[in-house]
Amino acid sequence: MKNKRLLFIIGTITISLSSCVSLDEEPKSSLVAENFYTKESDAISAVNAVYETLHFDAGQSLYNGLIQIGVEMATDDYEAGPRARNSHVRAISNLTHDASNNRMEELWKESYDAINRANIAIDKISAIPAENISADIQKRLVNEAKFLRALHYFNLVRWFKYIPLVLHETPTLTTENLNVRQATEDEVYEQIINDLKDAEQLPAPNEYSSSDAGRATAGSAKALLAKVYLTRQQWQLAADKAKEVIDTGWYDLFNDFADAFNPATKNGKEHIFSVQYQGYSNYVGNYLACRSATNEVPGISGENADAYHQESDLYNSFESTDKRRDVSFVTDVVSPTDGKTYHLRVPLLNKYHDENAISSPKESSVNFPYFRYSEILLIYAEALNELSGPTDEAYKAVDKVRSRAGSSKLQDIAPSLSQDNFRDSVFQERRKEFIYEHQRWFDLARRGSEYYVKMLKAAGKTQAQPKHIHFPIPQREIDLNPNIKQNPNWE
Amino acid sequence: MNEVKKEVKTLRYLLIAVLLFWGCITTFAQTLKGKVVDSRTQEPIIGAHVSIKGDNKTTAGTTTDIDGRFKINVSSFPTALVVSYTGYNNEEIDVYEVTNDEIEVTLNENFNAIETVVVIGYGKQKKADLTGAVSAVNVDNLSKISASSFNSALGGSTAGIQVTPTTGQPGGGVSIRVRGGSSVQGGNEPLYVIDGFPIYSNNTSAGATTGSAINPLASINPSDIVSLTVLKDASATAIYGSRGANGVVIVTTKKGSFNQKTKVTYEGSVGWQSLRKKYDVISARDFAILRNEVLAETYPNLGEYQYKTQSEIDALGNGTDWQDEAFRNAIQTNHQLSITGGSDKISYALSGGYYNQDGIVINTGYKRLSGRANIFAKISKTIDVGVNVSLARSKANVAPNGVVSSIILMPATATIYEPDGSYTLRNPFEMELSNPIASLKEQTNQNTKNSILATAFTEWEIIKNLKLKVQFGANSESTKESNYVPSYIYEGSSSDGIAKLGFVDRYSWLNENTLTYNFGIKNHFFDALLGFTQQLDHIETAKTGSSNFVTDELKYSSLESGSIALTPSSSESENTLISYLGRVNYNFKEKYFASVSLRADGSSRFGKDNKWGVFPSVGGSWAVSKEDFFAPLSRTISSLKLRASYGITGNQEIGNYQSLATLASSSYYFGQKVTCFNPARISNSQLGWESTAQFDLGLDTELFKGRLSVSADYYYKKTRDLLLSVEIPWTSGFSSSLQNFGSVSNQGFEFSFTSHNFIRKFKWDTSFNISLNRNKVLSLGNGATSYISGNYIVEVGKPLGTFYGSVTDGILQADEIETKGTYTGLAQPVAGDQLYKDINNDKTYTTSGDRTDIGNAQPDFIFGLNNSFEYKGFDLNVQITGQFGNKLFNQNAQYLALYTGQQNAAAEAVNRYTASNPSTTLPRAKLDPAPIFSDRFVEDGSFVRVKNVTLGYNFHKRFVRAIGISALRLYVSATNLLTITKYTGFDPEVTSGDNTVSQGTDYGIYPIARSYNFGLLINF
Repeated sequence: MKNKRLLFIIGTITISLSSCVSLDEEPKSSLVAENFYTKESDAISAVNAVYETLHFDAGQSLYNGLIQIGVEMATDDYEAGPRARNSHVRAISNLTHDASNNRMEELWKESYDAINRANIAIDKISAIPAENISADIQKRLVNEAKFLRALHYFNLVRWFKYIPLVLHETPTLTTENLNVRQATEDEVYEQIINDLKDAEQLPAPNEYSSSDAGRATAGSAKALLAKVYLTRQQWQLAADKAKEVIDTGWYDLFNDFADAFNPATKNGKEHIFSVQYQGYSNYVGNYLACRSATNEVPGISGENADAYHQESDLYNSFESTDKRRDVSFVTDVVSPTDGKTYHLRVPLLNKYHDENAISSPKESSVNFPYFRYSEILLIYAEALNELSGPTDEAYKAVDKVRSRAGSSKLQDIAPSLSQDNFRDSVFQERRKEFIYEHQRWFDLARRGSEYYVKMLKAAGKTQAQPKHIHFPIPQREIDLNPNIKQNPNWE
Repeated sequence: MNEVKKEVKTLRYLLIAVLLFWGCITTFAQTLKGKVVDSRTQEPIIGAHVSIKGDNKTTAGTTTDIDGRFKINVSSFPTALVVSYTGYNNEEIDVYEVTNDEIEVTLNENFNAIETVVVIGYGKQKKADLTGAVSAVNVDNLSKISASSFNSALGGSTAGIQVTPTTGQPGGGVSIRVRGGSSVQGGNEPLYVIDGFPIYSNNTSAGATTGSAINPLASINPSDIVSLTVLKDASATAIYGSRGANGVVIVTTKKGSFNQKTKVTYEGSVGWQSLRKKYDVISARDFAILRNEVLAETYPNLGEYQYKTQSEIDALGNGTDWQDEAFRNAIQTNHQLSITGGSDKISYALSGGYYNQDGIVINTGYKRLSGRANIFAKISKTIDVGVNVSLARSKANVAPNGVVSSIILMPATATIYEPDGSYTLRNPFEMELSNPIASLKEQTNQNTKNSILATAFTEWEIIKNLKLKVQFGANSESTKESNYVPSYIYEGSSSDGIAKLGFVDRYSWLNENTLTYNFGIKNHFFDALLGFTQQLDHIETAKTGSSNFVTDELKYSSLESGSIALTPSSSESENTLISYLGRVNYNFKEKYFASVSLRADGSSRFGKDNKWGVFPSVGGSWAVSKEDFFAPLSRTISSLKLRASYGITGNQEIGNYQSLATLASSSYYFGQKVTCFNPARISNSQLGWESTAQFDLGLDTELFKGRLSVSADYYYKKTRDLLLSVEIPWTSGFSSSLQNFGSVSNQGFEFSFTSHNFIRKFKWDTSFNISLNRNKVLSLGNGATSYISGNYIVEVGKPLGTFYGSVTDGILQADEIETKGTYTGLAQPVAGDQLYKDINNDKTYTTSGDRTDIGNAQPDFIFGLNNSFEYKGFDLNVQITGQFGNKLFNQNAQYLALYTGQQNAAAEAVNRYTASNPSTTLPRAKLDPAPIFSDRFVEDGSFVRVKNVTLGYNFHKRFVRAIGISALRLYVSATNLLTITKYTGFDPEVTSGDNTVSQGTDYGIYPIARSYNFGLLINF
């Protein structure tokens, strides 16, 4: 009895003084950065994460709705639809937005998130020892990240003009690290061009296996470089780079315009770079299809939030033979439940409509075409016209796009345009070709504030002002970082 | 030191001697008989303790039986019997010789609350000896309120705690603030200590079901609770260190007593609940007119009757009343059987309960089956052991997300069923709302939970008054979430049925070792505590599911039948806490009291450079009334005590792994899905505690021989090193980083009064408490002075929960378009548009630029008033609670005020601006569906509420004995009987969750019910 009791007492004391738990944290269901980026598979998933920033997971992210509502609403062709419930979006559509507008904040935030992921990928992958990664893959992955970094910086510099140029991960939370300075436009463009020049060393489209279809290619880099030069009005460089893309022979137009937006022909010969979507797959579908779809036809759960601006002259500007109008817009919809045809009050945007996702348009598998071959042709035409007027080659390039669409040739209907008129024609062609492809605002803005205001006022958006060719830098960033100043026009 | 040892030794010998002596003399014992009655009612007192004075061993004592009678053995005369019973003054009877007569002992009720013992952290203390602010909740009153969990019934019970339901879903949660919320982004809920086991009440879901989370504390049967103490100031809470900053609620469940006859109690009740008030919405006819108006304005070329023709409108009646269809009178039942008793070595309390509450929203409810066993045993003279085990299984049918707002926003012209009898899928208009009746009736959205909370301890009295207590505890919860959305309702229509299953496995174990010693040297009394504890929490979740079913028959029970598998997910996380604690309570002549405590906590949740925190406190009190100079006053003021305390407590409720640069995973698509890993946050090895320094000054007094007692407290709490997601420039790739930055203060007064107004045959007691708390942000990280969080602003100098929005300024009239048009925020203003104030004076209004502080969700004061009456067998209890000065954002009303014709509108929409009715308060109908957050929807949330009225009748002993039982009570009770408020929503007692920054938004929240119950209680 006595022994038992002694045992009991000793046991109790022993237990009470021994510590069985540890204070070290070892997360079991998430990885920690310091143990990652050590081998090829890590590197691949890190670069995949940069691609993911093109749409993130949810709706209303960059190429899955945000650019439409945060940027394109501020043009003559689009407006906030009847179901756009966000007052910030309606403000952009009305051109009453300001530096506290949360869609502008999102544009800034998501783009820098993407850039940070690219920066991490570039630095960390370059540091992986050779024995853990094949040299080709290492180089390719770094260049893919550079292409995507250039893509996002190119957006940012056009939207916000004076932006910080961040090229490495923020290591610690010190003010010096966090309070970055704004760079000049030239500095940003120089970096974009350098990154794209590196990315030109990416594999050609045909060098990728089908399980890598959708990655950035040498063609993507060259095409984007052509566009950067065009935006910088470096016409010769733009024309040369566009010609270079044409001459690779990697790309051509689909015979049918509709195939550019057909899930069956995705990542095809016309697609230079696309944001990838796949519905009904536990992955994301193209949410733009849902944002533009009707909500008034039984059996279709559309959102009717991204709308065509009713006062725009675009819809009525198509020739009757031009197939682009009816691919881009829809006016009559058959209900999947009652089989009846419903005539819509106004034409709705319809480019990302997927026949296999009629009742649930958010499951559309249509890719978002960031860069199509037709744009290379139009860049080439525009650059040539700026260099030496509407040459024959310039006409041919435009007409290639027009003929494919079923429209008559410019050469036939307006063979001797002035340089200015030819420029307007190219812009109008871009407008018709790239409806709902996030090109309009950039096109208006790069023509300058006068043009922008003129076009918007013509479409009844009377609040348009010269400052609207840029967006205000989010007030939050100015508040948090004393080194950031608002754009002069927005002060 | 030597002297103490010697004394201990002596005591030990003495003890042995006494034991031996007692053993020898029992053979010569004589028996005395007696009866104990209440001096006022002359009713026998059952369970009173009778012992022989000077004999400390409980075995020598006895308790009275159901007739109040006792027998006790006495070894020698003269002797004195000591009779005691909770709530009565002790009585001493001198007995000089053996007698066969029955000794009648009358006990007087004791109003001297200060003599009662309260449970504190790691121990008990006489209320008179407290140096800290500690409130014992009246559990009797608490149990009268019909509620599925004890913490949801706490409102108004004591000063300093604000209790707001986050949902009316049966089994749903509440938000509790002890002396105001101090953390901006960390948790603000108090720590619960249930029979010695600390629990932070947060919910983990696998995400398979939607709707309100189930309150983890709902698995504790409220009827099992015997005492509930709220620790408020640092002197009381610092012993809980890193978890004490939000206050501590100590819950003790019913125990048996040694030497007590077996007592069997049954309590049962049945009742019904109903909705307090509906939203007043427009009729089908008026809705059709409204929609026609909007369409005609948007598409003028399509005419005036685009939705319904005049004759169709005339044929419309009131249409569907969605609220009537969705709300019901719901039944609730409660049964509880408990058995308590004890021999000289073992005491026990066993109970079983069944609780079934249907919700006032159709097809929702909560059921709980629970059992408990609390057993204590003296296994030797110096060793006690005990176990507390409680088991519960609960099942909740939860209202799916968004259902309540759909009920409000579905227009009356929409129907529940199509003409062919199938469900209407959704709102036929632009606002996407699924048919809420179909969602409620056809969706399965169920949470099933098994939980076990068990603690076991052994206590060894090493030498007299030196006790070592070792306790182990475990809390294990496993939850299954089942969800099925059938193909024939909107949510499942595009996927042919969606089934999801979720599992949460959570366990926590605790080891707690304490050494206590109390001793006195002359007039100095010490009570010391030393302890070491360790606790681990582990959570795993898993979710899986599939869709596209051939049939809706199998629901979630055959996932393999769905042709598309949903992405599965799982997670695992763990956190640990290691602590050392110590406390010394000291008093001199029971006049001067001091208490010093210290706890060191190591938590895994913090950065590797900052794992340990130290939390000290000091408190002192002075029983002024015991001073000689006070004697002249003592006739009126029977006791007066002043208290002061200061200490530091912590908060670690930030979730796990927040200091590490963890990676998040997502996916992209290159011909097939590929995995992405990206950094989710920047690491912060410095991440540490949020610490709250609190100063408290208090006064406790009793007047008129205890007939009136008053407590008053002033406190000032400053929380610094806030665990704040400090906003960092987005250029870093991140939005925020969890850092220790900034500070928040809370200061306030608390008063409570208890008065025994009548104490004779007619008894009337009143208690009243009122608390005022002022909350203020003192600083924020990185030199920032404010940041906006949705509809709220966190700003230095302002309290948390400050609404930030636009200010309405009337309606644009036809002749004002030129002059005031820019104050509508619209590109093309039209007469009838809402006008807003130009806050930033730029001659134009923008939704983001022209916002300001438009009210605060924190009340100016809250109060509770309780009156109880007793006359003969009747008792009546009336509890009133209220709060004043808080604002609520009625977001339901905001949506009903969008006259878009896309969804329902408030009844007042018929008075909207039209050309013929140029309203100055209500805007015109138009397509614009963007809600603007403005002062128009920030309403006064003040209310006074009759929280509970209970009328009971206790049958006379003679009557109940005749039918073979020992007590019978019948009662009828009403909860939330009457509410006086200006708030226009379902119910003013509501908040949007437990985030302090964004409190006070009422949107789509399941409304709390009014309920009536009938019950009976039988003692066998």
